[in-house]
Amino acid sequence: TEVPRPRGVSLIKAALYQPRGGDNSWTCLDGSKTIPFVQVNDDYCDCPDGSDEPGTSACAQGQFHCLNKGHESVDIPSSRVQDGVCDCCDGSDESQVVGCANTCAELGAAAAIQRRNQAELHRQGAEKRLEMITRGRQLRADRETRRMELERRIKDQEALKSEKQQIKINAEALESDALEVFKEQQRELDADTVQAEEEPQQMRHEASLSFAVYDINKDGFVEVTELMVDINLDRDRNGVVTVEEAKYFLDERERVDLDAFVTLAWPRIKPLKMLAEGLFQPPHAEEQVPPVGEVPVEATTEGVQPTPPQQTEEQVDMEDSTDGEADEEGDEDQYDDEDGDVGVGEASPEVEAPAPPIYDPETQRLVEQANEARNALDEVERNIREIEQEVKEIDEQSAKDYGPQEEWAVLDGECYNFEDREYVYTLCPFDRASQKPRNGGAETTLGRWEQWIGEGYKYSKQKYGNGAACWNGPQRSAIIDIRCALEPRITSVGEPNRCEYYFEFETPAACDSEAQQAENVHDEL
Amino acid sequence: VDPSNFKTCEQSSFCRRSRKVQSTGSKYALIPGTLNSYMDSLTGDLINKENHHLFSFKLEALAGSTFRLQIDEKQPLRPRYKVEHALKGQPEAGHIHVHKETDGEIIITSKHTKAVIHGDPFHIDFYENDVLVVSVNSKNWLYFEHLRQKPKEPTEHRDGDQEDQDGAVETPKLSDSIDDPGAWEENFKSHHDSKPYGPEAVALDFSFPAAEVLFGIPEHADSFVLKSTSGTDPYRLYNLDVFEYVVDSKMALYGSVPVIYGHGAQRTAGVYWQNAAETWVDIQTSETNVVSSLVNFVSGSRKTPPPGAHFISESGIVDAFILLGPKPLDVFKQYAALTGTHELPQLFSLAYHQSRWNYNDERDVTAVSAKFDEFNIPMDTMWLDIEYTDGKRYFTWDKFKFPQPLTMIKNLTELGRHLVVIIDPHIKRDNGYFFHQDCTEKGYYVKTREGNDYEGWCWPGSASYPDFFNPDVRQYYASQFDTSRFQTVTADVMLWNDMNEPSVFNGPEITAPKDLIHYGNWEHRDVHNLYGHMHLMGTFAGLQQRDPNQRPFILTRAHFAGSQRYAAIWTGDNLADWTHLQHSIKMCLTEAVAGFSFCGADVGGFFGNPDSELLERWYQTGAFLPFFRAHAHIDTKRREPWLYPERTRLVIQNAIRKRYSYLSLWYTAFFELEQTGAPVIRPLLTHYPFDKETFGIDNQLLVQDRLLVKPVMQQGVSKVDVYFPAIDDKKNGDLWYDVETYERQDRVGYVTVPVTEYKIPVWQRGGSILAKKERQRRASTLMLHDPYTLIICLDRERKAVGTLYLDDEKSYAYREGQYIYVSYEFADNQLTNNFIGKPKYKSDAWIERIVIAGLERVPSGAKITVNGVQQALEVTRQGGAVVVRKPAVKMDIDFVLTLNYE
Repeated sequence: TEVPRPRGVSLIKAALYQPRGGDNSWTCLDGSKTIPFVQVNDDYCDCPDGSDEPGTSACAQGQFHCLNKGHESVDIPSSRVQDGVCDCCDGSDESQVVGCANTCAELGAAAAIQRRNQAELHRQGAEKRLEMITRGRQLRADRETRRMELERRIKDQEALKSEKQQIKINAEALESDALEVFKEQQRELDADTVQAEEEPQQMRHEASLSFAVYDINKDGFVEVTELMVDINLDRDRNGVVTVEEAKYFLDERERVDLDAFVTLAWPRIKPLKMLAEGLFQPPHAEEQVPPVGEVPVEATTEGVQPTPPQQTEEQVDMEDSTDGEADEEGDEDQYDDEDGDVGVGEASPEVEAPAPPIYDPETQRLVEQANEARNALDEVERNIREIEQEVKEIDEQSAKDYGPQEEWAVLDGECYNFEDREYVYTLCPFDRASQKPRNGGAETTLGRWEQWIGEGYKYSKQKYGNGAACWNGPQRSAIIDIRCALEPRITSVGEPNRCEYYFEFETPAACDSEAQQAENVHDEL
Repeated sequence: VDPSNFKTCEQSSFCRRSRKVQSTGSKYALIPGTLNSYMDSLTGDLINKENHHLFSFKLEALAGSTFRLQIDEKQPLRPRYKVEHALKGQPEAGHIHVHKETDGEIIITSKHTKAVIHGDPFHIDFYENDVLVVSVNSKNWLYFEHLRQKPKEPTEHRDGDQEDQDGAVETPKLSDSIDDPGAWEENFKSHHDSKPYGPEAVALDFSFPAAEVLFGIPEHADSFVLKSTSGTDPYRLYNLDVFEYVVDSKMALYGSVPVIYGHGAQRTAGVYWQNAAETWVDIQTSETNVVSSLVNFVSGSRKTPPPGAHFISESGIVDAFILLGPKPLDVFKQYAALTGTHELPQLFSLAYHQSRWNYNDERDVTAVSAKFDEFNIPMDTMWLDIEYTDGKRYFTWDKFKFPQPLTMIKNLTELGRHLVVIIDPHIKRDNGYFFHQDCTEKGYYVKTREGNDYEGWCWPGSASYPDFFNPDVRQYYASQFDTSRFQTVTADVMLWNDMNEPSVFNGPEITAPKDLIHYGNWEHRDVHNLYGHMHLMGTFAGLQQRDPNQRPFILTRAHFAGSQRYAAIWTGDNLADWTHLQHSIKMCLTEAVAGFSFCGADVGGFFGNPDSELLERWYQTGAFLPFFRAHAHIDTKRREPWLYPERTRLVIQNAIRKRYSYLSLWYTAFFELEQTGAPVIRPLLTHYPFDKETFGIDNQLLVQDRLLVKPVMQQGVSKVDVYFPAIDDKKNGDLWYDVETYERQDRVGYVTVPVTEYKIPVWQRGGSILAKKERQRRASTLMLHDPYTLIICLDRERKAVGTLYLDDEKSYAYREGQYIYVSYEFADNQLTNNFIGKPKYKSDAWIERIVIAGLERVPSGAKITVNGVQQALEVTRQGGAVVVRKPAVKMDIDFVLTLNYE
């Protein structure tokens, strides 16, 4: 049954190790040298390619073939022959003295079971994966449907917008005339009326500047984490800006673009910034006229906001410091509450709307009408923005690589946690990876979705990059190593390099038996 | 480094005061009639003629052309500290003859050395075979601040109390000049030194009339040859943890070895200044311009002042050993005879070490070890830095990251590998930590002036420092290593002692305050540079007690004279840049001649991220320094060889394999170090003392006298200039053989040699024989039985000689003669062996092949005769050498091998 051949030679190569008839010589496999056959495996390296010593450690670049009957045959470097360490499961690399046990039968059986289990896992997993494919494809179809729907709605809303604009122009013309008359009367009553200049663009300009400052990673969004660095936003004065605090300023969103920032976030942020910068002055300091160039920021509702003559300068200042739109959106009460908390110390402002001026009934009616028209237009515009935002989100999603069969799509929007001794790690596939200390404290972004980076099989690893910067170090990043399992979960998280995290993640989406087979075939080659 | 964290001489009051003597000089004289001579020594009294304070002096002859000079106060107010534990034992005494005693001069001789003692002004000239080699106090810079009572009114003009005792007349006195504001207390940054005993500095000058260059006094990141300190701070010896140290600097570093050598073509001499307090050393270099050397040449005598060293220490006594040579190896051995050598290390510790701060957990350790196998790169030892512990509590493990340390260790040892773990001296102040509890209860910590346990800040946060000067503390600490206590390691796990300067993050100059109190009521000031040494003594005792038949391996950062008996050292927290790579050789050469042959630098650089080329060259350099370990800071990118491009991985593999092939040479060299005190690595001047060009060469090194190594340590070069030294002053040189091609160099002087990225320029000296093991294994321990290749490089007479040492590579059995030590000799086409001592060790190893370079013709064959039986052997040509195929003789068997030319 045994093919006679020198020690360490595989069955396939046995034929190459035959002495030449006549002189009993043998030629190195690379043809470079002919030696007596007795010098094969004589523990001295004669051939430059190491082929004369398949069964000893004499040649540096030699290979020893472990037959490993009952398990898989392997070639090991000849440096491991007779080094006292059992490398072949049949113990053939070591002399009897070392006493290597033959473990091939056991290992072979265990490997067979392992292979079977793996195959079974993949078979079952593949069924789940099929469901994921179906759902993924459905999601794509839904997105496309939804997108068309949204485009249609934008058209409708655009039409409505023109209509509302016209109504507003008309109403404001009437209002304007009426107020002109009213103001004439007021001027006569009080020559010292403060003339407020309207600068509707001022607010937006300011907000944009702040946006640029907050948008640290310059991705066109201000995120919760980016706000958390501004200690001025620590509303409860506990020394840290919590996620909740930051979210409040973003209208409870994770992130906002410039438009949303201008309309939703800045109005909430600004009072605190002014507070921090000392622009809220205690009453006694308010006698001074603001220096030229430092134009007080005005309320910025479109249209004319009349300045009631009864206002004291103090009140004017306060109104200037407040935000008109917040007013409109009914956030005034919330502001007051918050300011109550914030107002520790001397610069404690009373941010209340000034008492509304008292118009004659007709003027009052026209003003209200104009307000209604403005509100109606605002609402339409807001609708459009929201729809556009949704379209943008859909487009972003559609641009993501959810795999050749959309099998990964259902993971977008899911989040998985893993706890170790110190941290809770979170992976939200296609969005971000993060960590949070278990004993409280802020969440740290380890990275945002970048791309698939598996070597060989692309869909075996994900990369998340551009996370929060390490102290004195690079920005954090994370690699997700993905394996097949029936239930999705993170099995381990490590930090093999400073600030470079490594997640092991299991999901049925990775149970691609065909891909696995392809890889196995590749391995055997 | 932020230099402002560390004192300058000017900011250090004793240095400032002692250095001032360089302009004024001092006035000490022997008191006639006080001299007494003994078999081996001469004693007498000295007087400071300005303040009339009395000192006793003793000059003692020691075996081996060495003198010891001690000066102490005759009646000090309290005892002054005398260094203990640095010498390896009581030095062997010599004999003296007193030849002449006149009023002014006494001559004593001991064998071929002579000391001429001049009474007034007091100075001593030391001669070796009638050549003046060392002069002590020839500049009259002896400065000895006697202990005194603290004056009541610090601003008032002081009458030294001792003068009242002495009844001396009041004249302007040296003591009076100590109105230095730092004399009785001193501040540095926010730190206060209470200095309760006031000024107590000692200082003395030494000049080397036969020398042209001075070297020694490690540890500094500077050139091998010491530079003049004229116009700069002196070199400083004060064990300090210096963050991101800079090169070309005289600043103090982690270790202090106060031994200095003066070398000239005819004579080499040395001085070991035994003092453990903070010490500054001013260096005067000789004028070496062309005119002066011409004048010297013509006149046959020196017209310029000789090079000199001025040692300045904060406290203690004058205790100086004068080493009289005459040749470099003689002085190195004389120093080794005093302070000892590293004992023969286990062979694995000379192989490649893989470290990083930190390997994160068990899986990481196992995975890294497996990767070395995957890429077939030999590796012997994995290291764990501080993060393996449970919250920096030494002798404990982080149970989450390392739940099964014994299993992890077994995984390594089954592959022939080792593990080294770190144990630092800072002890976490945590009432739940047994070590802290014990030290607190037993009073084992270093104390403050007030008698409380000193608390400093280090890795664990608030920490205290065991007082290793107390023998009970050392024994308590040593007993912790016992595997019955430290159960999570095996007796094969070895030790790393770091931060033992000691490093104290919030202390003055990042170390302990000088007014802390140690065992015996000595101030930290007196013993600072010995703290790490005492820590090592504890660790060494612990490892020996744990397993009495296994040689301990310890790596330390802090070190003092004598620490080489216990530990290897590395050059601390270097940087990943080319200048630090270059300094790894300069620094290790200096350490080697100061006793520390077992020296290396963090391969790759501790801080920063080396690019491919730097990492490749660093591995190549590290492969030819005695201690070969890659290590990196926690904030650096991972840099295991497979994380770099394939080329880099292969270059590194090549360098490490080269190291493994030469392990037998390193091992033999360390055996011979223990036997003779001859350094393992040596500067060129060691064997080429006449060649003045070699004096300043510190980018090449010799391994014993067999290999000449010039690693590529510059970026982007395709050639290097190598200096081949002259053996005499007539430009004759040795032959040198490239160890890869056996191409021969027979010129003296600089030769430009082309290099590839794989090339490590190394030559074997013609006339030498060494043994290699050319089979690669994943770890050196697996090579124990592998066969040897003898490499014979012939000199001009076609002769060569060389030794090989082998044993079990691990135990102390070699002390009972269980070894094979053989000298091979080649002459007249014949190779013979001579066993030095009976070969008692049984080895399975045999001689696989013999390579001979430098033969005139290729022999037709060879025959070997063993026990009267002859066998013909094949001889083939290989490059510039011939190879004798398979002599197959065991290592403990006599043989004769003859080349045939038919």
